[in-house]
Parts: sequence; structure tokens; C-alpha cells
Amino acid sequence: MTLLQRDPNAPQAWVDNLPVENRYTYGLAGEKFFRTIKDEARIMGTHCPNCDHTYVPAAAFCERCLGKLDEWVDVGTVGEVVTFTLLNIGLDGKPLEKPEIIAFIRFGDGGLIHRLGEIDPEQIEIGLLVQAVFKPKNRRVGSILDIRYFKPA
Amino acid sequence: MTAKIKEFPGTSLSEQDFKEGKVLFNFDKLNGIFAWDTGIGIGTYLAALKNGVILGSHCSTCRKTVVPPRTVCEWCYRPMDQYVPLKDTGTVNTFSLCYVTWDVKRIKEPLIPAVIEIDGASPLHGIMHMLGEVDPKDVKIGMRVQAVWKPAAERQGSINDILYFKPLKED
Repeated sequence: MTLLQRDPNAPQAWVDNLPVENRYTYGLAGEKFFRTIKDEARIMGTHCPNCDHTYVPAAAFCERCLGKLDEWVDVGTVGEVVTFTLLNIGLDGKPLEKPEIIAFIRFGDGGLIHRLGEIDPEQIEIGLLVQAVFKPKNRRVGSILDIRYFKPA
Repeated sequence: MTAKIKEFPGTSLSEQDFKEGKVLFNFDKLNGIFAWDTGIGIGTYLAALKNGVILGSHCSTCRKTVVPPRTVCEWCYRPMDQYVPLKDTGTVNTFSLCYVTWDVKRIKEPLIPAVIEIDGASPLHGIMHMLGEVDPKDVKIGMRVQAVWKPAAERQGSINDILYFKPLKED
């Protein structure tokens, strides 16, 4: 065997897993935004009186005038579908039996990206009003997934 | 820290704060599975380790023996001529007493990573491994050491088939 041939008994590859874990804390405004979802099942935004702009999810500072935002507004649980897409392939790369529907839902001057449920893909249209379906209170942990999906309002 | 700023705004969080649910957070794990092609040289090296042999390769033009084996000579860029089995003994070239683990945990008893010049390889050619069965105070550069192998049945073609190197008592 020359040195330029692979040893057939040699391991072809070293297979391992990088143990990379992370914790993301939501920050000042994010903490209050998710805390309200968890405790009260409400979606909050912040309003900038200077720019007359309502940020959803709530932000601590205005992106336009850099002013501090402390005017909190309840934007309700009904938003408008701005755009949507159907996912036919799961995270593992395998085809899904039923496509998952992901939409951008407008609240205030911002909005949330989330799943749509209780709806056929054919029924969705841009401008459709959809309502948040929350998990029961004892199952909510303070995550965007405390909202299970949005259903037609 | 800059001289002008003494106090930074923000909130320091402790592990306790996370446990008590004082702060909301999102936990995530990267899907960090990878496969690294061992290549010809290292593949052969790992296969030899499984058989309890530290393998090097020899260039007869440069009269150099390197470990781990490479397929191309780093000095003359010619293909290496042959693999050579080396002894599992060697000399400590350099070492460190390490009081922090790879995932940044403090430990009382230090880990002792060392570069070990393997007997049979050219001078200054060696591998990095751990030292064991030794008092950290007694580790010296130039110390003679010998590999402690895993039982043959447990070896899997990995550098960890050698558990560590222990001091060699020579008569």
C-alpha cells in the first residue's frame, strides 16, 4: 500500500457534535412584551408620540427619532395578514404531510411572524383578519410559542 | 473597560435568576453535528491507534520522521516514503497545568496537557496529549513518559484510545 491510498480499515470521518447552547434574554421591552403574553395573554406595543409610530413587538427606543418609548399600548389579539407562505418541507428537510402556513400579521405599525391554523391554504388572502390562539395560562412560559397560532377572526 | 466609564448600564444575571424565573429567556441549541474527513494520513494514524500503535511517516530525502503521519513532506514537498510504527514512549517538550476545563469550569486538580516528543520521530516532533498518574508538582520538561492505552476492546480509532501519558521509570 502506498502512502497515497486510503487505509480501508481507517475511519473515513470523525463524527461529532458541537455542544453549543445559548440563552437569549429579551431585554427591557421584550421582557415586558413576553411577560404580558404569559400572564395576561395580551399583545403589547409601544407608541412614539413624536413619530406617531406604534412598534409591535414593543421596543424600548424609537428607531426613527431614537427617543425613549414608555407609552405602552395594547394592540389587541386580532391582526391582518400582510403576507404568507406555505412550508412543505420540515426543519429536518423531509416533506411535510400537511403544509405549514407562516404569515406576517400586522399589529400597529409592526407585526408578528407566526403560524396560521384552523384554515385551509386556499382560504387565506392578504388582508384577512386573524386572531391569536393562546395556550392555556398554566402552559404559557413567556415565549412567542405561547401563541399556538392565529385563526380567522 | 475604558477609564471614563466606571459603571455600565444593564442588569447582571445570575444562574439563580434564570432558575427562579426572574427573567424570561429563550433557550436554544445549535444543531452542531459535523463530520470531519480524516484524510489519508490521519485516517491511517487513527486506524493504527486502534491497534495500539502510534504511527509516523518518514521522508528518506529529508531523513525526517513526523508524527502524526503526513502524506507529503513539509520540507521537500515530495510524497512521504513510508509509514513507520513508533514507540509509545516519549519526552515532555512542554506542558501546562490547566485549572479550567474545556467548558470553562474551575477545577481543583489541574489537567496537564503536554506536547510529547515521541520516540522514533525526529527531534521536536510530537503530539499533544494529557499527562496522568503524576503529581502536577513533579512534571518537568524533558520528563520521560509512556502512553497508557485503553483496553483493546474499547478502542475506536481515536486519539482518546490513549488515555494519557504517565511517567516512565527507566532502569
